[in-house]
Amino acid sequence: MLRKAQRRIIVPFLLPAFALLALFFLYPLFRTIDLSLNEFSRTGTMTFVGTDQYERLVGDPDFASSLKNTFLLTIIGALMLFPPAITIAWALSHRLRGERFFRFFVFAPVVLSVAVVSIMWKFLYHPTLGLINPTLEGLGLGALAKTWLGDPATALAAVTFVSVWHGIGIWVVLLCAGFERLPTDVLEAARIDGAGEGRILFSIMLPMLADLLRMLLVLWVVQSFQAFAFIYIMTGGGPFGSTETVGTLMYRVAFDQADFGYAAAMGVVLVVLMLVLAKVLNKVMKRDELQY
Amino acid sequence: MRKLLVAGTVAVSMTALAACGSGGDDQPDAPEASSWQSEIEGGPIEVGVLPATGTPSLAFLDDVAATMAKDISGTDVKLTFANTEARPALEQRWRSGDGLDVDYTMFDGTNDALLAWADDGKLLDLKPYLEQEDETTGAPWLDSFTPAVRQFMEHPESKEVYGVPSELSLQVLFYNAKLFKDNGIAPPATWDDLTAAADKLTSAGVDPIAVTGLFEPYMGMWTDNLWMRTVGYEKAHEVLIEGKGSITDDPGFLDGLEKMEELRDKGAFLEGFEGTDFTAAQAQFFQGKAGMILMGSWLVSEMKDVIPADFELGVVAFPTVDGGTGDQAGMMAAAQLMSVNAESENIPLALEWVRRVTSVETQTARAEEIGEVSAVKDVPSPPGLPGIADVVGSADQLFPAYFGLLQSKANEVVYPEITKLMFGKQDAEETLAALDEGLKRVYGN
Repeated sequence: MLRKAQRRIIVPFLLPAFALLALFFLYPLFRTIDLSLNEFSRTGTMTFVGTDQYERLVGDPDFASSLKNTFLLTIIGALMLFPPAITIAWALSHRLRGERFFRFFVFAPVVLSVAVVSIMWKFLYHPTLGLINPTLEGLGLGALAKTWLGDPATALAAVTFVSVWHGIGIWVVLLCAGFERLPTDVLEAARIDGAGEGRILFSIMLPMLADLLRMLLVLWVVQSFQAFAFIYIMTGGGPFGSTETVGTLMYRVAFDQADFGYAAAMGVVLVVLMLVLAKVLNKVMKRDELQY
Repeated sequence: MRKLLVAGTVAVSMTALAACGSGGDDQPDAPEASSWQSEIEGGPIEVGVLPATGTPSLAFLDDVAATMAKDISGTDVKLTFANTEARPALEQRWRSGDGLDVDYTMFDGTNDALLAWADDGKLLDLKPYLEQEDETTGAPWLDSFTPAVRQFMEHPESKEVYGVPSELSLQVLFYNAKLFKDNGIAPPATWDDLTAAADKLTSAGVDPIAVTGLFEPYMGMWTDNLWMRTVGYEKAHEVLIEGKGSITDDPGFLDGLEKMEELRDKGAFLEGFEGTDFTAAQAQFFQGKAGMILMGSWLVSEMKDVIPADFELGVVAFPTVDGGTGDQAGMMAAAQLMSVNAESENIPLALEWVRRVTSVETQTARAEEIGEVSAVKDVPSPPGLPGIADVVGSADQLFPAYFGLLQSKANEVVYPEITKLMFGKQDAEETLAALDEGLKRVYGN
């Protein structure tokens, strides 16, 4: 009797969340799948073509290249993001002189708009008018000066760096919260036993934060797969496609070429890839739950 | 309960899908051509404009809108930015039945990819109105436009008119006249003149040519113009846009690419151009850091606020190529065409906007104050573009800018390969081979 009453009360509580899920996730997903099975004219007339768009994707070198760049961006970005974010969060978890200032300093870029940050870094990266190359030359490191956004060897990393610089504050905050919830008695015990801070970090703290790190990594993968604004503003996908990701290619195909069906097919493939990758990461990085 | 949830999901999805239908099909009747001016009534209209916020060009159009509001009671003209960055959102509005009353880039008779809106009945056929006698001149309104722009205005098959040019954009070679004079360099008329000028500018410590490496079509302007000279517009259009034949058939294509390679190997391009965007490249030209820039004639109006008062600007047509089998006196151009929405609630007022913007009076003021080149007869050349009248006068034909590549299947192939050539990643022969392979892939020939 009680169980039946419980069930009845669950429904009204679930409905608002379900309505939002349906409106902002299920409907767009079904609609995207629907679009991907059609071909569009520039004026929006659609014709059902079945799985043609998916077959087109298989032999499309631009899609393959953008997919490769998306993976590269995810990996390069993870390498640029996690080591410094963990280091900063770890440092901030200790008693530190000027801690508030450092917290502000790390978090401040987060509040700037992507457009402002992109334009500012575009200027900083400029080969002759910018600040980076002249600074390197001033320090006697002229050999390291590059045409950052204009060289296919550096453009993707340069844009990824800006994206990481802009968002690292959020990751630091999340990691700080993780560090703060670690049991102090375990850490103190390790210190009494003579373990150094480095040893404590790698052998105790990080293993205890495995679940949080797994979640953050999945979040990073999802965010990187959707990379768009920084690339669109800073390089437009160039030079010659070296920074083109699935997100920017999808936008160009949909809105510049009005090929909505093909772009939708790319979107569906991207969603599937993200789900698969998230599942794999969850499986590979899953650890026994720690109680503390 | 589970069944209820599934049914709910389906119901929500279906309702949302149904709600996503196209806009209404109500199409107000277009006014009679002979009496449309007597049907003009005040009201709100939304008009696309190309200049960005804060520019003198936009302020000029604001004044035109204010004058119209003063003359026609109840008129409220809303100016909406309609240039490149805004196009995707605006086209989406058109697709949902909420297009602007007057808009740009909806039609170009020389570009097959831009005929769809007219073919689907979204645009008003302007020909009947343009054939009416203009009150001021006594001649048909259509006759006020330079004949060279008719190809852009007319549908190639039906010959109906769906666009009226508010200005003309010409691809010309700008040069720093003072720098040239100081170093005894003559404005380049031929390719040999250009390479000689590049050498002299380099010797004088100035980068010869400003160019952006962050926007591929602007680098492509160089090969487009070279191919016009070495291959000819028709042949190049056939190969690049229509997918007929092979790019290796005509040696002029390789000749053009080799000329680019020659410039590149001379170090003729602005230092660090690979990472320089077009605004910075244009600014560096006006700061005297480069001697020349190949750009649309909009350069002057676009950069009006940052051009130093003592800057001496020179303009010449793209240099001719000795021995080239293409069009030596042709010029790449684009007409900025205003189209009227066939479903506009106030077509007479929208037509009146188009008429006022293209009147000799407005066009003359615009040329003098803003520096725009007009497609209307009897409008003087802009004073900020010395020599433009001679340049246009000596052109025997205006050819569509970019060969129409930007909306073609070959867009993904051509300009990225040209960029690789300019960046030194491949030589002319490798570029030709890559272009051949790419074009065959997209056209399947």
